[in-house]
Amino acid sequence: MKLSTHITALAAITTAMATGATVASAESTLEIVKERGHLRCQVGPPSPGYYNLDSDGNWYGLDVSVCQAVAAAIFGDQTKLEIQSVSSQARFTALANGESDLLSRTATWTMTRDTQLGIDFLATNFYDGQGFTVRKDSGITSAMELKGAKVCVTTGTTTELNLTDFSRQNNLNISNVTFEDYNVRDDTYLNGGCDATTGDKSSMAGNISAFPVPGDHIILPDTLSKEPLASAVRHGDNQWSDIVRWSVFALINAEELGVTQANVDDMRANSKDPNVLRMLGAEGNLNEGLGLESDWAYNIIKAVGNYGEIYEKYMGDGELGIGIPREGSLNALWTNGGLMYSPPMR
Amino acid sequence: MAIIKAEKTPDRSAPLFETSVIGWLHKNLFSSVFNTLLTILMLYIVYLTVSGVFVWGFADATFVAENRRECYDNSLTGACWAGVIHWLDNIFYGRYPRDQIWRINYGALLLVLWMAPLWMSRVKGKVLVGATVVVFYPFIAGYLFSGGDKGFFMQLMIASSIVAFAINMANMIAGLTKSLGLNAFIIQMLGQTNAPDKTQRNILLLLTALAFGAAYLWQMGWTVEGVSWTKWGGLFLTLVISGIGIASSLPGGIILALGRRSKLTVIRVLCVSFIEVFRSVPLITVLFMATTMFPLFMPEGFVLNKLVQVIIAVILFNACYMAETVRAGLQAIPRGQYEGAHTIGLGYWKTMGLVIMPQALKHMIPNIVGSFIGLLKDTTLVSIIGLFDILGMLRSISKDVPWIGLHKEPLIFGAILFFILCFSMSKYSRHLEVKLSAGKQH
Repeated sequence: MKLSTHITALAAITTAMATGATVASAESTLEIVKERGHLRCQVGPPSPGYYNLDSDGNWYGLDVSVCQAVAAAIFGDQTKLEIQSVSSQARFTALANGESDLLSRTATWTMTRDTQLGIDFLATNFYDGQGFTVRKDSGITSAMELKGAKVCVTTGTTTELNLTDFSRQNNLNISNVTFEDYNVRDDTYLNGGCDATTGDKSSMAGNISAFPVPGDHIILPDTLSKEPLASAVRHGDNQWSDIVRWSVFALINAEELGVTQANVDDMRANSKDPNVLRMLGAEGNLNEGLGLESDWAYNIIKAVGNYGEIYEKYMGDGELGIGIPREGSLNALWTNGGLMYSPPMR
Repeated sequence: MAIIKAEKTPDRSAPLFETSVIGWLHKNLFSSVFNTLLTILMLYIVYLTVSGVFVWGFADATFVAENRRECYDNSLTGACWAGVIHWLDNIFYGRYPRDQIWRINYGALLLVLWMAPLWMSRVKGKVLVGATVVVFYPFIAGYLFSGGDKGFFMQLMIASSIVAFAINMANMIAGLTKSLGLNAFIIQMLGQTNAPDKTQRNILLLLTALAFGAAYLWQMGWTVEGVSWTKWGGLFLTLVISGIGIASSLPGGIILALGRRSKLTVIRVLCVSFIEVFRSVPLITVLFMATTMFPLFMPEGFVLNKLVQVIIAVILFNACYMAETVRAGLQAIPRGQYEGAHTIGLGYWKTMGLVIMPQALKHMIPNIVGSFIGLLKDTTLVSIIGLFDILGMLRSISKDVPWIGLHKEPLIFGAILFFILCFSMSKYSRHLEVKLSAGKQH
């Protein structure tokens, strides 16, 4: 999402070289985390839907739930967690230098990042994509009709580059109006300073919900870029990668199997489905490879619910949700035509 | 016909033109057609601005609402202060546990009480009062704010702080009631005024030791729940960082400035390069270096408290600016002052401490306070590296789902808060200048 600057890359590469050699020989991340007694999970400066502070100073959001899930898997207690908020410029460095155990924030999984920064992306928990918002009364229904339009965009991100590429490819002659802060971008758009705004569809949905009259604006169906947002860990500790990856998969699998926060006790005791029993640790030994207790997945679901519940709460129509429809989107379960798919847990 | 009268003619009153309001208006606002036009234009602009701000910020504004949608339902054009009001705890105390907020309030109250004697002219020993604030207050406040287990050293320092605070308060009462220092007051009470100096000193030392023992036993029973620094935030964090920065950058700056003027080459070169390096790098770079690059040089798994790194960076950075301010003040002192001090047999430290610095510091007050105000405002940069200081908190309001997009009102509120803080610092510096130069005149 954010443009990975040269400085970030350089710093992260230096780190990777400096620490790469020592990671293998040192204690495993799981041991370090257990010894410390809490998980250090990195998010970014507040971003609606993913990680926010409420007025009592608590964190909430989709990515925060992933942090809580991993903490619950390890300790059986989602509160044994320290959320760190790190700026985009320092995010990969802070992971690589050991300050954070886990990065769970809106970081797009790209090949460069995965292969050159000394970090590993694990499991996508949200598929985002860049789109356009326009006023309904403008009559525009497709991005191709934006010929010669003025488009408001935040600067210094891949969003801006994607917009320029899109304009050139389709010969649209779009002029960019750039802003540092998306609140100012939206104010300008609302006051008629530009014909459309562009950004990640998820965050635009959140922003539109805060417009004086949300019904007057629509997000166009076109998608300019692929933005798979995934959690990441340091390169080189496979056990730790497995823990984080399968914690996310457990959320998705639970939804598929119909296990919810409310019925998880009942399911563990009474379910006849061997898949459910295996996942919740009532049968088999799935936990052994991870080095966790047998009820790790049970603890996750008990603490934060399954993926569908989390989505509903923070991304969907829940009280704290930003109202992005899930039906028919990439974030629906694979059985509903989306991309949310967990390998079998057996 | 006598032109000269024996008695003085009574004074005529000043012409109406000079004293009445209308006269003043006529002279200052409507003296010519052009000025009249300008006045009317300006009044119109003032009216537009003030009425616009009033309607937006007060008449049409919403003060009570559960979320931003309710604000819009109430008025589409007015401000939505309800969001700011909901977030007040976050803005002032950050993520500090809500049931522990009294600790921050008590800490602030303690500081105010501790420093109160500095404003009271009858109280003696102000230099000592100032010194105890800098030396002891940080320990007791540090424990109050962060809590947890106390080490032996911490227990000693807390007990000392209690004693220092108690002596300070007793001294204030003695000063206010009898205009005496506490030591003189105690000796008088015990009827030992004529006892030899040594006896008097021993009595005072004994009393202090007893007080220390009592304070040590008393504080052993105290425990407050540990609060991680990651939960510190809001105005509280801003004041902690800038307070420590202010308290330590001046001594640091004095040392660096003296080092820069030193005759010893090694010290001079070290000081010059230190000052020049830090002054030629922007603060944000220093902060990034301190928080992201510094851990790379440390052994793996070693994570230094980010807050401490930030505070150290702020202190070093500001000490360098302060050093140049102090050096400017030192250069304003004529050579004769140094020579005079030498002729009466003062060494380097006494020359500096008794003759040069008191004069130099007085000249530097406006610049020093200017740096302090700058420091207070600069600390908001820490929000960029992920600490939730007051700016970080204000910006987070627009991301909280019930208040999503609410960004103008919080920033305006922050601007007002900063204005109050900076303006009072500036007023205090004017007061100091007047007070100190009044001392020079008689």
